[in-house]
Amino acid sequence: MRKTKSKYRVLETLSPILGVLASVLVLLVIAMIIGEMPGKTLNAIYKFTLASASRLSTIFSVAIPLFLAGLAVAVAFQANVFNIGVEGQYFVGGLVGAMAGIYLRLPVYLHLPVVVLASMAGGALWAAIPALLKVRMGIHEVITTIMFNNIAAALVNFLVNGPLSGRGEKSLEPQTLKIQSTALFGKLNHWFNAIGLKVPKHVYLDYSLIVAIVMGFLVWFLLYRLRQGFEIRAVGTSLEVSQYAGIRVKRVQMTAFLASGSLAGLIGLQEIFAIRGVYTFEIAAGLGFDGIAIALIGGNSPVGVIFSSVLFAFFKQAGYGLQLYTAVPNAIIYVISGLMILFIVVINEVTTRYIRALRRKEAA
Amino acid sequence: MTLLKMDGITKVFPGVRANDQVTFDLAPGEIHALVGENGAGKTTLMKILYGLYRPDSGTIRLRDQAVAIKNPRDAIARGIGMVHQHFMLVPPFSVLENIILGKESQTAGVLRLEEPAREITEIMNRNGLPVDLTARVEDLPVGLQQRVEILKVLYRGAEVLVFDEPTAVLTPQEVVELFKTFRMMRDQGKGLIFISHKLDEVLDIADRITVIRRGQVVKTLLRAEASKPLIAELMVGKPVFLHVDKPPAAPGAVILEVRGLRQRSPRGHLVLEDLSLEVRAGEIYGLAGVEGNGQSELVRAITEAVRLESGDVLLEEQSILAWDVRTRRDRGIGHIPEDRHRYGLLLPFSLAENLVLGRHHRSPFVRGSVVDFARMRAYARESIEKYDIRTPSELTPAHALSGGNQQKLIVAREMRFDPILLVASQPTRGVDVGATEFIYQQLVEARSRGKAVLLVSADLDEVLSLSDRIGVIFKGRIIREFRQEEATKEQVGLCMTGEKRSA
Amino acid sequence: MFFPTLLDFLFRGLEMSAPIAFCALGAVFCEKSGVVNIALEGFLSVTAFTVVWGSIAFQSVWMGLAFAVASGVLMSLMHAVATVTFRVNQIVSGVALNTLAVGVGRFLSQKVFEQETQSAANSYMFPTVLHINSFTFVLIPVVAACWFVLYKTVFGLRLRTVGENPEAADTLGISVNSLRYVGVIMSGVMCGLAAMVLYPSKWVNGMTGGRGYIALAALIFGRWHPVYAVLAALLFGYADTFRIMFESKIPIPSQFVQMLPYVLAIVVLVAVRGKSRAPAADGIPYEKGE
Repeated sequence: MRKTKSKYRVLETLSPILGVLASVLVLLVIAMIIGEMPGKTLNAIYKFTLASASRLSTIFSVAIPLFLAGLAVAVAFQANVFNIGVEGQYFVGGLVGAMAGIYLRLPVYLHLPVVVLASMAGGALWAAIPALLKVRMGIHEVITTIMFNNIAAALVNFLVNGPLSGRGEKSLEPQTLKIQSTALFGKLNHWFNAIGLKVPKHVYLDYSLIVAIVMGFLVWFLLYRLRQGFEIRAVGTSLEVSQYAGIRVKRVQMTAFLASGSLAGLIGLQEIFAIRGVYTFEIAAGLGFDGIAIALIGGNSPVGVIFSSVLFAFFKQAGYGLQLYTAVPNAIIYVISGLMILFIVVINEVTTRYIRALRRKEAA
Repeated sequence: MTLLKMDGITKVFPGVRANDQVTFDLAPGEIHALVGENGAGKTTLMKILYGLYRPDSGTIRLRDQAVAIKNPRDAIARGIGMVHQHFMLVPPFSVLENIILGKESQTAGVLRLEEPAREITEIMNRNGLPVDLTARVEDLPVGLQQRVEILKVLYRGAEVLVFDEPTAVLTPQEVVELFKTFRMMRDQGKGLIFISHKLDEVLDIADRITVIRRGQVVKTLLRAEASKPLIAELMVGKPVFLHVDKPPAAPGAVILEVRGLRQRSPRGHLVLEDLSLEVRAGEIYGLAGVEGNGQSELVRAITEAVRLESGDVLLEEQSILAWDVRTRRDRGIGHIPEDRHRYGLLLPFSLAENLVLGRHHRSPFVRGSVVDFARMRAYARESIEKYDIRTPSELTPAHALSGGNQQKLIVAREMRFDPILLVASQPTRGVDVGATEFIYQQLVEARSRGKAVLLVSADLDEVLSLSDRIGVIFKGRIIREFRQEEATKEQVGLCMTGEKRSA
Repeated sequence: MFFPTLLDFLFRGLEMSAPIAFCALGAVFCEKSGVVNIALEGFLSVTAFTVVWGSIAFQSVWMGLAFAVASGVLMSLMHAVATVTFRVNQIVSGVALNTLAVGVGRFLSQKVFEQETQSAANSYMFPTVLHINSFTFVLIPVVAACWFVLYKTVFGLRLRTVGENPEAADTLGISVNSLRYVGVIMSGVMCGLAAMVLYPSKWVNGMTGGRGYIALAALIFGRWHPVYAVLAALLFGYADTFRIMFESKIPIPSQFVQMLPYVLAIVVLVAVRGKSRAPAADGIPYEKGE
């Protein structure tokens, strides 16, 4: 029995690995069609990702917001809530956080946590409306969150151009006033250097890394150590069983939705507080959607999301390598990550069915 | 000449021999009833005939020709039609659309409706089945929906018609109409298979009666040789009382009181009609009845917040109608659900997690909000030992357990929560003999510990051997209560068919 | 002065609505067969590229049409294989295809036009009639045809059955999977047609602007009925036209005017909640018994 259990475990972990391998294979085949030999393609990827300490540490830097995005989507998915609105929550959360960074006057040790909390509050606020629409009126969250992404984009655009504009600062694109120095995120590179890991100065391994680690731990703790998390996973597994067991399903879905929104609010920390020092409408768009892919590839677990966000960052960087050294355009990465999700879920479906058949045979 | 002959049909599902060497035949112009308790294998046999299941062995002959029926399409092509227990209709479609579906008339893909409508009208007249062809099926009462199902079958030119418990959803008047139609079809030389466990109806309409028990044919009787007590005895066999050690009852205070419950189904039928009952501490109250007479609705009214037309449910003299499931559980209502796969277990979750489900939010399993896994696992190991759940470890996912062990897991959970009222719904359905006996012991033990137990079961033996009092539910009300000493199988069985006085 | 503006508004509105309407029709087929498709946006962003590519490469708008439809079908086939054959979660598959689609246009544009975010200008287009793309008017016969096919043909009857009660279809010998394949593929075809109106003179990255999602709102508002869904699409299209034509003349910030279609979509969803009923088996993978 022990043995069969591990056999199932192996089968279950197989699908993400096979999915990733299959999509890399597709990448190489597409590159070959374009006229690049696999050796050259792989070499280009290598040069831009693993060849130097600078490249390697950049992957981790890029992975920070991706991790938060993946985590945000994953928490909702765990309760079977499809929060496609992480993108909009991230825009709004970032703006609220930036406002706290610009207009509040606080000592550093207060200002930093306050901007983090403000970002979370902003994200949660933007998630609250579709969450209420779902729980109170039964309107499916997929379409509402998508609409809220577009509304958020327009709203933020208005605010940054209008009431919150910091024009006069020398900049071409519309942006807010500068964030006060007490709220800016410093770098942690020297910590890594101190333990012998070479992280070049220009790479951003900043305070947002700490936030990401803390949040990763908190989410893990929530999901696997708190009863609220137990209920989130129960609701995500079966609404009917949860209702039978007395779990207050709507409240749980609401909690997961708001947790997801708060995490989404943190995606912009690195860009706003470490890299730019202002909020602009130009903060990296699309991270929220990347988060969906990352959550799915990582199986919606915090540990899985660590791997999938690093993997995603790796592929993003690899895309630049391909762009630079080969004839393969950078955009291939989106094609590959879409395929990766499809491969993983399809392979997962096939193995689950296979396992079920095996077990049934054993039972009979 | 025989129209249909099924010979030596065997079908095995994991753990159950649903059909074991079943032989069944049907002549043209005959109504042949197939009777047996729930789970006896009637539906399985008919699904094999209709191509929904494949038999493991056995042959089917139609008009003396061996046939292989691989799917419903084959069955339809060979003149077999089935009126399913759960209607296979498309509610938003019109009656006409529902009838022609799959056998449409067309010109280059475009639907032609006039000719089918004419043809169907003729069939309606010939068989006494008038329905408005333009009405939407979802707007029709159940009785008319059933007519649509019958018309579907006739429109396909079926010679063998299978009716799977067709009267379960009908009013007495509708049953009379249906039987008129049955006779008309018989007179046209069609063969009808009528599945039922309502003996009056069977005796009223059938030419021959085949009794099936535990997957095997017990006997085939001609109408003339059949009588109600005889069929009832053949259906249940020699009473197989599992051995239950039961000390004398010492009933205490009333724990559960159900007062005049009235509820309508979404379609407007009364499903509970002034239903009242009481269950005392230290007693097992068994609810006997043919399925679909309001048992599930009653259980739901006790275990979760539902909309009632009138009535009240009291737990220790306190009305619980406004409580949600959690409050009810917290206040001491335990529930072994009817469909354990759908409601009972989080299948991918570990045994330990499933064992605390429903009380996972309370001490000792959480401290504050933090789940105490060590405590939970220790508790799970205790439960596994005490309730003899066969599992490699407490961390095994629930879906890896056998059916019997899954059910033991649920029983263990609900028992260990120490409820004051335990609602046990079909607690041994689909469970092997060993687990069944164990579950019986547990229910008796709950009673000895002074709990009120409401046992709902379609298995009359089970109700009779466990209960201190037995209430017979019929059409949403308790029509008679028996004390265990005075209850005989024949009496209760008769009563379940709506007969109030003892025979 | 007034009448030209009004006429202009009417026709431009029709042109603006057509892509949404075509997508919504695609969604009607897909969801009537029981498959939810949130990848319409992705389909549309691919077909919007391929129509330009095909037209320029073969110097023929007909080839552009062929490219658009073919690429739409290809995308929808992926959705069908994943959701019908392998029964994966339909929303997850849709998300994956949307991600993939983001890359497809940019990837191909880089290869074909050597710039990632826009194509070369395409001069092979359908002629303009009344100042708008004449392909817009194809919408009218297509709506009629969709209605006819869904409600007057054997295929339509069976397709709707599969989306309402696949088990019943199965017991009548109707193949659930093949009909669902057709339903999903129709959504790819329709996204191909949508691209013909969207902006065939040039491809720009992100030009779809959420029309695929708006089409889903139109679908729900239109109660999964082809004609009503198209009317709902017109509502959204005209709202957008109003925004474009009068943005500068209205004294509220343009960004608020830009929100209009999306806010409208939410309002519409709230208004029809509970009243607009999806096909009963919509979104549920079908698994045969036993």
